[in-house]
Amino acid sequence: MSIYQGSSLRVDLSTQEISRGSTPENGIGGRTWNSVTLLRELDAGIDPLGPENLLCISVGPLTGTEFAATCRIIASAKSPLTGILGDSGARGFFGPEMRWAGVDQIVFSGASEEWKYLYIDNDQIELRDASHLVGLDITDATVQLIDELGDPDLQVAAIGPAGENMVKYAIISCNLARACGRTGMGAVMGSKKLKAIVVRGTKPTRPADPDRFQKACSDLIANIEAHRQFRSRQLYGTTRIMDALADYGVLPAYHYRSAVFEDLEKVSSDALRRDHVVKGKACYNCNVYCSRYNYTSYSEGEGPEYEAQAAFTVKVGGSDLELAVHVSNMVNRLGLDCISTGEVIAWLMECRHEGIISDDDCDGIDLSWGSKEALLKLPELIAHRQGIGDLLSEGTKRAAEKFGTEAKKLTAEVKGLELFSADPRGIKGYGLMNAVNSRGGDHYRGEPMIELTGDEELAMRRVGNPQAAHRLSEEGKGALVNYAEHMGLLSDSMTICKNISCCMDVVDFDLAADAYSGFLGKEISKDDLWLACSHVSQVERDFNLREGLKREDDTLPDRFVNHPIPDGPAEGTTINIHKLVDDYYEVKGWE
Amino acid sequence: MCEVACSAGHFGAVSPALARIRVAKMDETGIDLAIACFSCKEKPCLECPTEALSVGDRGEIVLDSDYCDACGLCAEACPVGAVGFYEEPLFCDLCDGDPNCVKVCPSEALTYETGKEVSLAPFLEVGGTPSQRRVHFAGVMAEPLRKGWAEGRRVDS
Repeated sequence: MSIYQGSSLRVDLSTQEISRGSTPENGIGGRTWNSVTLLRELDAGIDPLGPENLLCISVGPLTGTEFAATCRIIASAKSPLTGILGDSGARGFFGPEMRWAGVDQIVFSGASEEWKYLYIDNDQIELRDASHLVGLDITDATVQLIDELGDPDLQVAAIGPAGENMVKYAIISCNLARACGRTGMGAVMGSKKLKAIVVRGTKPTRPADPDRFQKACSDLIANIEAHRQFRSRQLYGTTRIMDALADYGVLPAYHYRSAVFEDLEKVSSDALRRDHVVKGKACYNCNVYCSRYNYTSYSEGEGPEYEAQAAFTVKVGGSDLELAVHVSNMVNRLGLDCISTGEVIAWLMECRHEGIISDDDCDGIDLSWGSKEALLKLPELIAHRQGIGDLLSEGTKRAAEKFGTEAKKLTAEVKGLELFSADPRGIKGYGLMNAVNSRGGDHYRGEPMIELTGDEELAMRRVGNPQAAHRLSEEGKGALVNYAEHMGLLSDSMTICKNISCCMDVVDFDLAADAYSGFLGKEISKDDLWLACSHVSQVERDFNLREGLKREDDTLPDRFVNHPIPDGPAEGTTINIHKLVDDYYEVKGWE
Repeated sequence: MCEVACSAGHFGAVSPALARIRVAKMDETGIDLAIACFSCKEKPCLECPTEALSVGDRGEIVLDSDYCDACGLCAEACPVGAVGFYEEPLFCDLCDGDPNCVKVCPSEALTYETGKEVSLAPFLEVGGTPSQRRVHFAGVMAEPLRKGWAEGRRVDS
């Protein structure tokens, strides 16, 4: 019997066989289980959208317990967008339900001939016909399943048209808008003809050492409530960061052509809350309830987070916030990653601005900055792979190949994964994180948030270098990114929300070790956890090296390295990414 | 958090299936509503074939496990799906007058009020499972809220 008390499911879509084994013992949970599974079981060079890819979906030993905000699922596979390791986490309520069903990990292999969904009701587990769900967006498919199964308490993880059509940055969504967003996990699910996973579970989680576990849970709640950002996160969620990024001079206005956005007030977090937010929304067992429900004249839905808000306003040079909120709702329903989608559109607009492409190259769609027509039409075309959408559904790296060298120079991606809505030149730790992390250009792998605090004492405590607390400093950033990477891995493995653990920095390895030890009734030290994360960091590196990754891939686009921020508070700044990567490699002990 | 606090407080284990307060969630309309026993005027749950149920000092429903044969009729009778069932019926016991769920609610959406009589008569004929009745009740209760949204009301207005 595994100490984790659950099980691992193997679902072969080719043969439609389901088998049940014990939970993996190697690693902490979540991403660590998945990464180890992928390194061990995949052959190098496989087609990410072929039946030989595996889609692993895991929770962790603390998911669905009293430990706050520990609610995520982590979906992992070889990424069709980047060709290296892909994984992404989704919050909400699906993860706890999966845990209560006694399922810790699901590994999908093969590919079905017909569309299916996986149904789990505690120990009743079966593949069912999903042909009637094909073509439905994520909201409609989820509501249809809840209605036809007659159980409003069940949880659904689904793909939309984008996943069905294997758009390379398609998402898997829980609770309609909580997405495994990055690296195209929805495309892998679509390649297996798996439309949804439905889960209902009632098996309680019970700590082995209740007193110790309860103390860890209480400590976490106390840390959250005492945090200076507690209230602002309740009110604004991640959208609170927009004003700060403007102050730091790292807004990506007009696709990184300016760090100053003249209509900031129109698209700010205050404007969003004032005009479009009708209600707060929470994930499982979280007192921060940082998500928000929006209501606009176009549509309603949950969100947006900062990334969608900024991508569909500042980054595309648009100041129509209501339109941006609607586009966020729309990409959620279609099943597209808002970060990649926003980056694709903003890059196209910059190409058009530079005269590299014309509207005629894009089905006659107006590609001027902030174009309403582009924002409304392109996500639909991409999700359905229609017209220009077919090319754009491949991501900016591949799409740029069609438009030539000049278009390629304007892309903002690392290893094929599109970058976030901030400028890495003015936040060096984030720049380094984007350059080196194991899933490509992404800030959320682990948040080097300390560099935004200026808190030298915290930087000293976490990474032994007070300079790491300053965003424009290049000192201590290798150690900072290594720490943030470990914290991200720990969070993805225990499946706690990274806004809590990484951004608010209210969980450290000591508290995590107490929670694990208390829940499992087995002594796990903070050093054990750190080493487990170090080990999996190396596992992920080995996976990517096996896929042909080279040291020179650990970099940032030329536009950030050799061209300074043109205006605003960080004017004149570039990022010395080679020096930063050298520092990071030294910390990692890599050649 | 209310479900977790209730479940953990009573059983030392966590699952909404063990909770005596349940959240009806309708993601497609943005509505969430925590539902526990209102100690309603009608109390249809009291039609217990083995007479295992009585009303306590605070108006809470008290289960005598010695008499209960776990038929589940009480859970089926509740018009808003507020009676849980896990091996035996689960009734909100108000945590001796200091409910855990109220204490942990971060948005202060829950209050413990005494001396207020609630009628659930309009919901007595609602069919379906307890969870479907919770969702139905939440949908009806949220109608003014959603109407406000359509008329331009926002969270801070």
